[in-house]
Amino acid sequence: MKSVYIVGVGMTRVGKHTHLSLRDLASEAVLKAIDDAGGEKPQAIVVGNMLSSLVEQENLAALIADHSGLRGISGFKTESACSSGGSALVAGYSLVASGLFDKVLVVGVEKLHERPTPDTTRGLAYAADADYELIYGISFAGLNALVMRYYMDRYGISREEMAWWPVMMHENGYYNPFAQLRKKITLDEVINSPVIADPIRLYDSCPLSDGAAAVMLTSEKFKSINDSPIKISGVGDAVDSPDLSSRFELDRLYASRLSAERAFKMAKKEAKQVDIAEIHDAYSIIAAITLEEIGFAEKGTAPKLWAEGRFRKGDRPVINPSGGLKSRGHPVGATGVYQAAEIAMQLRGDFPGMQVNGDIGLSQNVGGVGSNVITLIYTR
Amino acid sequence: MTTIQRIWRLRSTLLRLRATRCLDCGYVSFPPKAACPKCGSRNVVREELPKEGKVLTYTVLNVPIKGFEDQAPLIVALIKLGDARVLAQLTDVKPEDMEIGMEVVATVRRTAPTLDGVVPYVVKFRPKEAEQRITLTASSTSTNPASSSKTNKASESGQTP
Repeated sequence: MKSVYIVGVGMTRVGKHTHLSLRDLASEAVLKAIDDAGGEKPQAIVVGNMLSSLVEQENLAALIADHSGLRGISGFKTESACSSGGSALVAGYSLVASGLFDKVLVVGVEKLHERPTPDTTRGLAYAADADYELIYGISFAGLNALVMRYYMDRYGISREEMAWWPVMMHENGYYNPFAQLRKKITLDEVINSPVIADPIRLYDSCPLSDGAAAVMLTSEKFKSINDSPIKISGVGDAVDSPDLSSRFELDRLYASRLSAERAFKMAKKEAKQVDIAEIHDAYSIIAAITLEEIGFAEKGTAPKLWAEGRFRKGDRPVINPSGGLKSRGHPVGATGVYQAAEIAMQLRGDFPGMQVNGDIGLSQNVGGVGSNVITLIYTR
Repeated sequence: MTTIQRIWRLRSTLLRLRATRCLDCGYVSFPPKAACPKCGSRNVVREELPKEGKVLTYTVLNVPIKGFEDQAPLIVALIKLGDARVLAQLTDVKPEDMEIGMEVVATVRRTAPTLDGVVPYVVKFRPKEAEQRITLTASSTSTNPASSSKTNKASESGQTP
């Protein structure tokens, strides 16, 4: 298998972009990534997206390639709910590693602010099990709330301990020019924010986001396009049940653990060697459990650790210097690609927000309530 | 806002709570699967779950998904039934009276209309305690107090699928 490098990155600001269409957002990220890769054009494009049906548009690879001056190249879309961007990275990685192509552009894009919010939240709930969960009217936040209550009860985690996570994320994201919610918040604001699906409150949840991010992947042959190519040295991907009912354990995320183990094994690294990580905190409870599954915390301790001040700048690893899904935002099918672009910039040393020095980075992108998880490990 | 076709396809699974049990490793899965999630064996059989169990965790939705707005606040729980778990709505209980470990019993109730405008019936769960209260009220008006346990059994078999 050939080695694969990130040689270019591009992102739009995450937010509510009423004036920009899906193709506008995607091509902005694509063209920035091509520019960052010294103007080198890709031979193929892989698009990560979950819900372009909300803007009545499918056939995204053709749409985005054509709009970006790439008519004639190869391309397709990947979908795995909130980890669609991570899946696009796995597909793009595979196209280069296999030798089929030397230059592949991976772009994630999502446009959630087109339709009324109830249409969007119903669409996001398609990540759950339509036959056995959706028919009871439960939202995606509701499914996460079931796990949150179970976890807090089992490990004796307080409301205050859980609430420190969004406070920390908003502190980090305040410095990120690409973040959607660039404002610092207090513990009281989190604890007193409106209840969405008890015990999940507004600030326990990520916002609805529009945005696009892209990375240019190349083989060894083209890595010198960029002065600081970042190697993708580990890739792990795993699925679990889309339904919560038949999970092996309710307080663990099996696919998160498996995907991290696979990525570490491939990269010949361990969790304790990671300097910087971008994890998938769509809800604070997912941050807690994935930190434990990746190996950054013992079972049942992550909220206690972050309440004590761990994972901030100066600690090791630093988690979500971008502000994570809470503050940077969660443009669903783009999130995994944002994480890859952010880690690549951190390792290159040119992330425009909170810059962390390090040699080894990790990103983990979670689809559903942990039903599809992709972990990537990056080295300088 | 599901379709009547979906409700029809799933009628026996949803109303009778039929899981799959693996004959090789014993893992019981609800929803039922074509092969065992634990060991991959296709040697699985359908098995009806008990209709009484305990709440493992629950949520109260102030904002249910589109189509269920009228049912807010909507209580949804994961319930331990024998060797499996089932996700279902709770009924006949106030959000503030919910607690982990609460004993619940299955009942059949109306749910939100389908896209085709049909009102389907699904299994919901209600507190077992509430059932006892109802029975006690019934027996207090009865001329024969000894019939209360019979009334209880009759109402149980009538209400559970």
